Amino acid sequence: MNFIKNLTRGIIKENPTFVLVLGMCPTLAVTTSAINGMGMGLATTAVLVGSNVAISALRKIIPNSIRIPAFVVIIASFVTIIGMLMKAYVPALDAALGLFIPLIVVNCVILGRAEAFAFSNGIADSFADGLGMGLGFTLSLTVLGSVREIFGAGSIFGLSLFGASYEPVILMILPPGAFLTLSLLMGLINWKKKKV
Amino acid sequence: MENKVQIDWKNVFKLGFILFAISAVAACCLVLTNYVTAGTIENMNLATNQTARQEVLSEAVDFEEIPAEDLTKIGTEIGLDNPDELVEAYIGKNGNKVVGYTVKTAPQSGYSGEVQVLTGISMDGVVQGVTILEHNETPGLGAQATLPKFKDQYKGLTASDKITVVKSTPESGSNSIQAITGATITSRAVTLGVNISNEVYQILSK
Repeated sequence: MNFIKNLTRGIIKENPTFVLVLGMCPTLAVTTSAINGMGMGLATTAVLVGSNVAISALRKIIPNSIRIPAFVVIIASFVTIIGMLMKAYVPALDAALGLFIPLIVVNCVILGRAEAFAFSNGIADSFADGLGMGLGFTLSLTVLGSVREIFGAGSIFGLSLFGASYEPVILMILPPGAFLTLSLLMGLINWKKKKV
Repeated sequence: MENKVQIDWKNVFKLGFILFAISAVAACCLVLTNYVTAGTIENMNLATNQTARQEVLSEAVDFEEIPAEDLTKIGTEIGLDNPDELVEAYIGKNGNKVVGYTVKTAPQSGYSGEVQVLTGISMDGVVQGVTILEHNETPGLGAQATLPKFKDQYKGLTASDKITVVKSTPESGSNSIQAITGATITSRAVTLGVNISNEVYQILSK
């Protein structure tokens, strides 16, 4: 029961992007297309699950006063290892996501979940939390990327929507488009919540 | 007011040791992963470069690298502002016959820094193909330079004249390419790379 709750919490109720407002840097930077958003989300999920499990397993060994440097070392190692493995064994995926992998280190969703959840909970729960938060992050990044891609390039997941006559709103795939889309979506979600 | 701060040395060493142990284990994991993957990644890079050379100069079967010191001399001869912009050059061969050259350049003037451009030129002085290897250009704008729609424009242009960038559809035979809408800087950077390659070709083919 608890496991399911931990898993689903991150997807909607405590969505890292729209509700916790964590990891804004990659959110704004990489959501220029739906596929970029989804790729970044999935790569983050992999690291988040790994780091949550590792930190939860080590939580009795790591003293409270040095937990932050310990987290940083663990997270950075995970990111580097995943980056190297991807480069060596799934080069196609690496070519598409290569730029985002090192960015995961500075994603505060990961440090945030280590601090707020994994350090004080068991391994299974931390695994569920990491997976849920990761999927929530993936979902919101994909939505953001889709909206920006639809308006900014007239396509979704690379598939053209409106034909060649559509004049794309280039602003939407430039940085201002990221802020606009994020704030409008966040506003929409809050408005919806208030009504209920 | 003699309130001296007491340092608990025992605790300092204990914390230091734990942090050291965590870092040491992490370092071991990294070394191990690196050891396992480094060879594969290296081979992959070599293969990728080979494929890219083949792509821009399809006539060639083997490629022979031009020694770095010769390349540096060529760089000074054509008066490069920045010697780093000329990365490497290969002679493309089919059997014993030289069929052309591939030149890798790295113009620094992209919208977000360096853009690596590989150009293939055949012996009759015609650009056979251009491909973008590494770049950090804006997705959806400058990054469109990697698409065939843009880079195939260089095919068939002549290497003896400077290639120019125009904003509308170029006239036929004008030795120019059309810039990507909203990414003129990237288009110019790629063209600079191709033009440097052309100059290198002029010297090599003499």
